[in-house]
Amino acid sequence: MQRRLFLQLSATAPAALANVIGDVPQYKIVSKYRPEPHKGFPANVVSVHSAKSIDEATEKPDAQVVQQMIARGMTALTGEKTPEAAWKRFFTPSDVVGIKVNCSGAPKIMSNPVVVADIVRNLLATGVKAEQIHIYERFPDQLESVNYGKYLDQKVPIYAVENSRGSVRNYDPNTYVEVNFFGEEDTRSNLIRLVAEKFTKIINVPNMKDHGAAGVTGCLKNIAYGNFSNVARSHSHEKTNTKTFIGTLASVEPLRSRTVLHIMDGLKGVWHGGPFLLRPQFAFFPKKMMFGTDPVAMDRLLLDIIEEKRKSEHANSVWDRSRAQLITDGRSVDPTKNHYIREPGHLEYAGSLGLGEYDIKKIRLQEFEL
Amino acid sequence: MLRLLLATILLFKGEDLTGVLKLPPPGVHYRADVASATTAPWVDANGWRIQRAPGKKVFYHVPAGQAALAMAEAHAYGADAMVKVAPGDEDAYSKMKTFLDQLAPAGPQIGNIAVMDDGSPQAGETLNLLHRKNLLFRIVSAPDPNADLNIKVDKSIPNPLEFAMDVRQKLTDDKRLVRIYGSEVVLANLTGGPGNPQLHLINYGKRPIEGLRVRVRGLYSVRHVASFGAPDAKLEDVANRDGGTEFSVLQLPVYAVIDLQGQ
Repeated sequence: MQRRLFLQLSATAPAALANVIGDVPQYKIVSKYRPEPHKGFPANVVSVHSAKSIDEATEKPDAQVVQQMIARGMTALTGEKTPEAAWKRFFTPSDVVGIKVNCSGAPKIMSNPVVVADIVRNLLATGVKAEQIHIYERFPDQLESVNYGKYLDQKVPIYAVENSRGSVRNYDPNTYVEVNFFGEEDTRSNLIRLVAEKFTKIINVPNMKDHGAAGVTGCLKNIAYGNFSNVARSHSHEKTNTKTFIGTLASVEPLRSRTVLHIMDGLKGVWHGGPFLLRPQFAFFPKKMMFGTDPVAMDRLLLDIIEEKRKSEHANSVWDRSRAQLITDGRSVDPTKNHYIREPGHLEYAGSLGLGEYDIKKIRLQEFEL
Repeated sequence: MLRLLLATILLFKGEDLTGVLKLPPPGVHYRADVASATTAPWVDANGWRIQRAPGKKVFYHVPAGQAALAMAEAHAYGADAMVKVAPGDEDAYSKMKTFLDQLAPAGPQIGNIAVMDDGSPQAGETLNLLHRKNLLFRIVSAPDPNADLNIKVDKSIPNPLEFAMDVRQKLTDDKRLVRIYGSEVVLANLTGGPGNPQLHLINYGKRPIEGLRVRVRGLYSVRHVASFGAPDAKLEDVANRDGGTEFSVLQLPVYAVIDLQGQ
């Protein structure tokens, strides 16, 4: 008998059966797409604050103030004199634009429909037809709970990807990241088919939130986990692979090139328990929006916002890797506890992939008060 | 000796069951409220039991709504089966019977893992887990030098799950004959010859699967698709890539049989 033909019994632990070298799993990226040239503003972030942007009691935004915030943010980012000129730096009438909203905590926390409506208004003003603007999210129940249609031109498509949870039907079978984290059976995460085949540009509209696994969820997490199938498999027990998976997904073409603009809705945020709003007291109201083309730089600033808020609430740091903070059952409603070891290092890792600037000293922040 | 899988599936009418292998009803249990190492649903499947008892007649006593699934399973593994259906399921039985009768007989079992089985319960549980992870095997009496992997399963196996995962790692995913993406409740079997294999896809879940990606090792073209409950079934995004054949199955209500042709 040839020795190689026989498998010996082993006591190998399942966790060791994943393809992981050091801290970085072995990712295989499959995509036929090549980077597309779009001029951005690396390391530049514009932040606009207005105390009048949202009523904390009713949680109702002031649409006019939001409109002014977006106008100021876009003109400051581009250096253009008018909002129209600013939007035309990014979009032309022939574009098919996807607006990636974040509804993972909806209807309590999501990309505010007033913000999304003003983004659509600006796109229409540049000549993009309503039918060519798609509001999209992965899960229909979350998306429907917001009712974006009430705020938009009825011709704007509102699209949920997984009408049957777990279905790969509306994902591109030829664009995916393959990786085995924990010995899971399905090792592929596929890109949304619309992103690969239809959209020419994407606007990313995340919120300002703490995230139990990633540390924070802003631009990178929304664009990465929000555009691929089968991503929840990256977490098991206290271990998550968000540190490397977020940046890896966000770097896949054509997603990376086509995501030309990030508008972070920080009218309302979540400082603990994200991406959901588990308790009303975990909400806070930064009353600001950030604008940029550099998702790493924007998320680096978000990290400070969340960390500062958590500190003021006597929560533990998102950098806390101690086992003492870990709970095993359910999601934490104690701000000093968590069910995962958070991975805010995913921002620096994404920076190392060329997705943006992580060094706070190199980020050029313009701040405005309205 | 290769055994052709010429399944005969009949409605149980009170026959003597002496010497017949009684199989538990196939299906799936979702275990959201049970703490476990995995959140994957628990699939009750009998393909491994049928492979373990070649030529033996099998018997299913299935609850309401499960007749078609049991019949599909028996057909996919070439078992002569008697099925006792719940009252009201006669129509489902008849429809599946009509569907199965129009399929070409399957060929021999294909598996690239050769398994020497001591017949013990521990070995059985190991086969069950290999089966549920779509690690396609053949039971052999002696090591097969043509197999990609030879293993022994016996009563000394302390942890069948770890063993099954170890088998996967030793084989490597690149050498797996079939991969399923997009569902944890679909099991696959391959029968026939290496030039014209027949792929069987069985949905053990209660709902139709909408959208499934399948990879079969080897370069093939698709000759024919038959899917119970989806008469117009077709495959989309067929591609040959990295030594494999991939395609998407848009809908899988219960059972599909896909005839492939070597290129």
